[in-house]
Amino acid sequence: MDAGVDKAETESTVQYVSSALFVYTPETEALVRPLLENSYHVVVRPVAIAELLENPRRRLKDMSHVVVAGGLDVVKEVLQLAMHYGFSVGIIPTENQRDLVRSFDLPENLEAAVAQALRRDAKPVDLILCNEKILLFRAVIGRVPLMDEPSRVSRLSLLTSAFRKFHGLKLLGFDFTTAGDRKVKTAACGCMVLQPRVGTLASRLMARKNSFSDGMVSLAIAAPLSVVGYLKFLGRVFFSSAGRSQRLPDTIGYIRSPQVEIKTEKPLDVVIDGSRATRTPVTCRALPGAVRINMGADAVEGDKNAQATAEKVDVNNLPRDKELDRARRKSAVPFFSYASEERFRDLFTALREDARFDQTYLVLMLLSTLLATVGLYLNSASVVIGAMLLAPLMAPILSLSMGLLRSDLDLARHSIIKIVGGVGIALGAASLVALVFPYNSITPEMQARLNPSLLDLAVAICAGIAGAYTKSFKEILQSLAGVAIAVALVPPLAVAGIGIGRGDLAFFFQAFLLFSTNLVGIVLASALTFRMLGYSAVVRGKMGIGVVAAFMVLISIPLYFSFQRIVENNAIEGRWQKERFLVNGKYLIIQGVQLNRSSDREILVMDILARDMLTRADLTAFKEKVQSNFNRKVVIRARIVYIP
Amino acid sequence: MKTIRLLIVFGLLSVAAWIVGCDRRPAVQPSGRSVKIGVIAPFSGADSTKGREGLRGIRAAQRLTPYLRNGDAVRLVTEDDGNRAVRSLQALKKLVCRDRVSAVMTFSSSDPVLEMAGVADEYRTPILALVATHPDVTRRSRFVSQLPFDDDFQGAVAALYVRDELLIDRAAVFVDPDSAYSTNLGRTFAGKFESIGGVITATTPLAHDRQDFERLLRDVHAGGPELLYLPVHAVEVIRIIRTAHRVGWRPRMMGSDGLLSTVLTQHRKDVYLLDGLLATDLYSSGDPLTAYGKKVQSLYRGEPTSYAVLGVEGYALLVDAMNRCGGRPGRLCINRALRSTHDFTGVLGKIAIGPDGKAGRPLYINAIHNGHMRYVVKVY
Repeated sequence: MDAGVDKAETESTVQYVSSALFVYTPETEALVRPLLENSYHVVVRPVAIAELLENPRRRLKDMSHVVVAGGLDVVKEVLQLAMHYGFSVGIIPTENQRDLVRSFDLPENLEAAVAQALRRDAKPVDLILCNEKILLFRAVIGRVPLMDEPSRVSRLSLLTSAFRKFHGLKLLGFDFTTAGDRKVKTAACGCMVLQPRVGTLASRLMARKNSFSDGMVSLAIAAPLSVVGYLKFLGRVFFSSAGRSQRLPDTIGYIRSPQVEIKTEKPLDVVIDGSRATRTPVTCRALPGAVRINMGADAVEGDKNAQATAEKVDVNNLPRDKELDRARRKSAVPFFSYASEERFRDLFTALREDARFDQTYLVLMLLSTLLATVGLYLNSASVVIGAMLLAPLMAPILSLSMGLLRSDLDLARHSIIKIVGGVGIALGAASLVALVFPYNSITPEMQARLNPSLLDLAVAICAGIAGAYTKSFKEILQSLAGVAIAVALVPPLAVAGIGIGRGDLAFFFQAFLLFSTNLVGIVLASALTFRMLGYSAVVRGKMGIGVVAAFMVLISIPLYFSFQRIVENNAIEGRWQKERFLVNGKYLIIQGVQLNRSSDREILVMDILARDMLTRADLTAFKEKVQSNFNRKVVIRARIVYIP
Repeated sequence: MKTIRLLIVFGLLSVAAWIVGCDRRPAVQPSGRSVKIGVIAPFSGADSTKGREGLRGIRAAQRLTPYLRNGDAVRLVTEDDGNRAVRSLQALKKLVCRDRVSAVMTFSSSDPVLEMAGVADEYRTPILALVATHPDVTRRSRFVSQLPFDDDFQGAVAALYVRDELLIDRAAVFVDPDSAYSTNLGRTFAGKFESIGGVITATTPLAHDRQDFERLLRDVHAGGPELLYLPVHAVEVIRIIRTAHRVGWRPRMMGSDGLLSTVLTQHRKDVYLLDGLLATDLYSSGDPLTAYGKKVQSLYRGEPTSYAVLGVEGYALLVDAMNRCGGRPGRLCINRALRSTHDFTGVLGKIAIGPDGKAGRPLYINAIHNGHMRYVVKVY
C-alpha cells in the first residue's frame, strides 16, 4: 500500500482512504456530488466507466482504492481491473441490487454505503471464474428445481414453484473433474455453483459453509431420481427451519474444490448471476484473494470463522454405474426410485436364504404349531403370541412376493415349496393334536379365528407393507417380530388343523380363509412395497402379481359379507341395549345383547334386568315379542338378573 | 380380445339391469274410480299443530301410494273440528252421510273421539283414531280402532321406567280435571307406581282459572317428590317448570305422548327451559327408520313430528286394510281388515291392531337435550 497516498485519517477507530477514484455510470452519476462532498476528507476523483475503460492505465495511475456504483456488469469490470492493478474496491449498491447487498453486507442507506466504500479496511476476497467470467453469486447449469429459490419464500409459492419446475424434468449425463483429479460421472438435472451468503434454498439446506477466502468452488448437484424422491426433498424444504440442515438432502450431491471442470452430455447454457454467460463444458476455478473489497461487519465476521478445508466430494446420493445408465435412459424422472446396489444385494441374499427349505424351518414350524395348538386349547393368549413369535412363515412369504414382483421363477418356486411345506406341517401337527386331545371344546381363542373379515385383510396389508419395509432395512429388522405378531400366521393354520382333526369342514374353511387372507394380503402388499422402495424398476411378474390380486378379490367377497355381518351385529347389539319389554305387566330391561351365528342358526343371547320374578309364561311372551320385532328367525337365550 | 371385453361389459350391464329391475313392482293401473277417506282434525284453535302436522304426514304417504291395488284413487276429505266434541260429531255425520267416505281418520284428542265412539256403531264406518290414547275409545265401539298404544300401557310403562330405571321412590302427579285423557293417564300412572312400591306424594288438579301457582308448587314440593308426572298440555308443563324454577326447585319431570312434538313445534323459544324433560311418545327421531320410513322421509321436508309420523302410518295402514279387502272395499270389510292387522311395517317398526281395536306397537321414552329430542329407550 502506498503510504504517501494513504494518509490515515482517524475518526474514532475507523480509518478512511485519503483518495479514491469513483467509477460511475449514467444511472449513478447523481452520486458524484455526495462523494465529492464526503465528510471523511477523502479526495474523490470521479470518472465515467466508459472513460475508465478507454484508458485504464492512465485513469488508475497512483490509485489504490476505487469506488464503484453501477450495474453488475460494471462492478465486474472494475473487479476485473482490480485483479490486474491491485487496487481495493468499495461498492455503493444501487436499488434492486439485493444480492450484492446480501453477499458483501453493504448498507442500503446512501450515507452509510459511502462511508463503508471509502473505508480503508478492504478484505481479500476469492473470485470465482467460470470460463473466465466472474461469478459473484451463483452459476446455474441445467435445471436445479427449488435449489435456486430465495431462502425466504412463502410455502405456497414454494409449492407452486416446485410443481411448475418439476414438469418435464430429465436427468442428463454430467462429468465433474476436481482440482485433485477426482472424476465423478453421474446423471443430474443440473448443478449450481454457490458463492457465500447467497440467500437460496440450496445454501439453507446445506450445512457446508463456504467463505470468501477458502479458495474453493462450492458446487451443488441436483439429481432427483424419482418423483417420490423429489417429493421427499420438497417435504424437507417445506418443513425445514430457517437454520441450516446438518444432513445433505437425498437428491443433492456436493463438491468443493479449488477448481471444478463440468462437462455435460450435450452443451448447456451456464447462467452466471442471472445472465446467460457461456456454455458447457465449463471450468470454474477459485482465485484466492484475487481482489480486496470493502465488506460489512457481518460478511467479515462470517469469513473470519471460515477455515481452509480440503477438497470434498459428497456424491453418495447421486446415481452411479448401472443406476446411471438406467436414469439416463428414462425420458423423464420416474415415479419410484431405485434401491442402491448395496441394499439390493443385501436384500436379495437374505430373501434367497429365506426361501430355502431347511431343517431349522421344519423344526420351528412344528414347534410353533404345537405351541399355538396347545395355546388355543388352553385359551391362553400369551402362549399363542409365543407361537406367533416362533413362527418362521413370514420370511418365505416375503421372498415369494419378491419372486413374483421380479418374475424370479427360482425364488418364487423355492418360496412356494417352503410355504406349502410349512402349511402342510402346521395342518398335520394341529390335526394330530386335535385327534389325541381328550376334550373337544371351542375356546374363545379359536372362535376369534373363525370369523375373518375385511378388517383382517387390512391387517394383512399393513403387515405386508411393514414386513417388506423392515426386511429392506437391516437396521430395523428386529421389528419383523412385531409384524409377525400383528398378522399371526400360525394360529389360523393351527385352528384349521384342529378343524381337520375334529372332522368339521366349516371350522377348517373359516380358519383357512383367515390364513389365506393373511397370505394373499402380505404377498400383494409387500410386493408393492418392494416396488416402491425401488427393488424393481417395473413389475416384471405381472402374471404372478395378477393371480395374487385376483385371489385377493375372490377372498374379499366372503370377507366383505363377514364384515357386513360384524357391522350388523354391532348395530343390533348397540340398538338392543336401549330396548325394554313390558311382559304381563313386568318390566324387563335389556342390558346387553350378543348375536352369535353358527352354520345352522343364530342365537340371540340377552342379558336382562328384572324386578319381578319371571314365570315360564312370561318368558314365552317375551320370546314372542322379541321374535315379532326381529326380522329373521333367531334362537333366544336370556340371562336374567333380578334387581332388588 | 375386443369381443371378450364387449361380452364382459354386456354381462355386467345385464346383471345391473336385473338387479335394478328386481326392485320394481308392476305399476298400478288407475281404474278411473276413487275411494274417499275422511280426515277429522283440529286445523284451527290451540291444537291446530296436530291437524296441520298430521295432514302433512298423510299427504306424504298419499304421494307414495296414491292408488289402491285395484286402481282406485284415494281422495281425502278433510273436516276441521277444532278438537271440540260437538264439532267432531258434526264432522263425522257429514263425512259418513254426505261425503260417503269409506273410512275416517281422526287427529282429535281422546275426549272428542270418545264422543265419536258413542255414535260410531250407528254409522258402521271404521274410524281410526290417530292420537287418542284413552283406553275406552276402543271399548265403546266396534268401529273405532287406535293407531297409538293406549293409556293403560303408557301409564304403566311410565311408572315402571321411573321406578325401575330411574330408581325413584316418590312422585307427584298433575292432572287436568277437564280432560278424560289426563285424569285417566294420571290415575293409571299413580296406580301402577304405587303397586310397585312407589309413593305418590300428591295428585294435583290444575284449575283453568287464576291459581296461586307458586303456592301450589310449594305445597307439592313440601311432599318431597323426586319426579313430577305431567300428563297435561304443553302450556301447563311450561307454566309448572317456570314456577318451579322461580321457587328454586328443579325436579325431574316426565310428560306424555305428543308433548315433545308440541313443544318443539309450538314452543321452540321455551325449549331450553325444558332441558332434561322426559316424555313417553309414539315416535323418536333417534330410532332408525324402516325402509318404508326412509321412503316417506324423502318426500317430507324437515324432521317429521310424532303427528306427521302418525299421519303417514294411519294412511298406509288404512290403504293396506282396503287392499286386503280386495275389489271395491266396503266399510265393514275395512273395519274387519283394520282390526286384524299383523306385521304391518310402519315408519319405525312393526304395528299390529288386534280384534279389540287396540294397537300393539312400541312406546318411546324421549328427552329434550340441548333443544332437541333425544331417544332414551324403546319399550315393546
